[in-house]
Amino acid sequence: MDLTGGFGARSGGAGPCREAIGLESLHLGDEFRQLVTTLPPDNAGGSFTALLELPSTQAVELLHFTDSSSSQAAVTAIGGDIAPPLHSFGGTLTFPSNPVLLERAARFSVIATEQQNGNVSGETPTSSVPSNSSANLDRVKTEPAETDSAVEKQVPSPNQTNRSGKRKDFEKKVKSSTKKNKSSEENEKLPYVHVRARRGQATDSHSLAERARREKINARMKLLQELVPGCDKIQGTALVLDEIINHVQSLQRQVEMLSMRLAAVNPRIDFNLDTILASENGSLMDGSFSGTAMQLAWPHQAIETEQSFHHHRQLQPPPPQQWPFEGLNQPVWGREEDQTHGNDHSNLMAVSENVMVDSANLHPNQVKMEL
Amino acid sequence: MQPTSSMNEEFLKKWQMGLQIVRPSIDNTSVSERKKAIKLSADIAMASLRKGTTCWSRALIQKTATEDNFLVRQMLSGIKEEALINKRLPKKVVCHRKIVRRSKKILRRKTKSACEEAAAKAKKLVKRRTQGLRNVVPGGDLMSNDVLLLQETLDYIMSLQTQVNVMRSIVDAAEAGTEQ
Repeated sequence: MDLTGGFGARSGGAGPCREAIGLESLHLGDEFRQLVTTLPPDNAGGSFTALLELPSTQAVELLHFTDSSSSQAAVTAIGGDIAPPLHSFGGTLTFPSNPVLLERAARFSVIATEQQNGNVSGETPTSSVPSNSSANLDRVKTEPAETDSAVEKQVPSPNQTNRSGKRKDFEKKVKSSTKKNKSSEENEKLPYVHVRARRGQATDSHSLAERARREKINARMKLLQELVPGCDKIQGTALVLDEIINHVQSLQRQVEMLSMRLAAVNPRIDFNLDTILASENGSLMDGSFSGTAMQLAWPHQAIETEQSFHHHRQLQPPPPQQWPFEGLNQPVWGREEDQTHGNDHSNLMAVSENVMVDSANLHPNQVKMEL
Repeated sequence: MQPTSSMNEEFLKKWQMGLQIVRPSIDNTSVSERKKAIKLSADIAMASLRKGTTCWSRALIQKTATEDNFLVRQMLSGIKEEALINKRLPKKVVCHRKIVRRSKKILRRKTKSACEEAAAKAKKLVKRRTQGLRNVVPGGDLMSNDVLLLQETLDYIMSLQTQVNVMRSIVDAAEAGTEQ
């Protein structure tokens, strides 16, 4: 138990600096691997070097079974961010990968004590690990199955082994389910997936799945909040949903309103592509009035419709709530239509021709490409 | 996440095609008829942009197909319109009434603390809003889970914004023409 205490304190103290190292840690991890594998065997001086050279399972056993003083020494050696380069290596080999070792050590110690206490939640490593060193953590996690079995041998108690078996099953399940998401490069190296459980969170598969689902929903919500104007400052799911519904309804109402306006203003929808093509060259020259009108109204729209949209919105912001469309505006539109019909018909014809020419001007090349 | 200009152009192209098909039938009709046709064609154009990859577009196409089957078929020609129109949407999940009642009874039996009660109330609010969103988004009641619903809502809002942008620019141009 004193082991975990020491590690917890260490890792807690080294937290911020580890976050800074987080990016380099992958590289450092590789270096550490090389170091461990290429260490000459005659270097084994103290208990710590012996621990380093042994495979991880035996290392755990060592950690577990050495007396408290030596393990404490190992702890200080591992956790020594400020500690001088290790003398047991003969001074030539400095120790570059403190964060990796720290996490590995924390992991081992926690697994060991976990088996002792029967505490399944595994809070210490996950809570103390910063999020940006996740790849690092994966590396460290590469041999939990072995350690599990090793520790099982040490502490053979029926219900605890049962628990660890369950945990292993769960880890396998998670692995298989989220394997697809990873890149292939990661897939080779990191067989384990971490669905993290923070302190006090449950770790059975149901609650983990529920948590993953909730995270997904929250991510979508964030995107929606970005998309819907004026929604990003609202807190609370219900209010955000309210705002989204309002936005969708307002857009739908705008579509209704716009189609009504178009129907009222332009009774003869002349989007005939054939006539457009036929008059594309001619209308620009012969239609003097339509040409001028178009050039006055449409120079920027011909370039980009988005810009014009913003422009128009700045000029006359049409709040959709002011267009309660159903019964109220119907007579107004009818009257306007009557007026326009009453004015003169040639004007309407001009308008329709205008729109026609505009559309031709908007996408002449597209139209050509179609044909 | 703003709609792109390529989307605008594509929508405009589709819509023009739809209006061209619609035009002979609504030349000399009332405003409401014309408005209906214009809106229908715009809706189909918007839905056809997605080519049936999203749930809402499929639902919208089917809904418009019940109103004007000919137009939909004409506008969707080229992108497997039969498959889209007749595609069976996922069935609505309907719970048996007895089961629901029984489960509610069981739920009621539990005594709740104040905190739990507040959480339940918040959950209920969110649930009601989600139901409202389902009613607003076409085909929303067919989307089985909330994640799918939100994703489709995202896409639907994007498409609606494209539609509104293009239609607004067209209408503004037309009205500017009348004023002159």
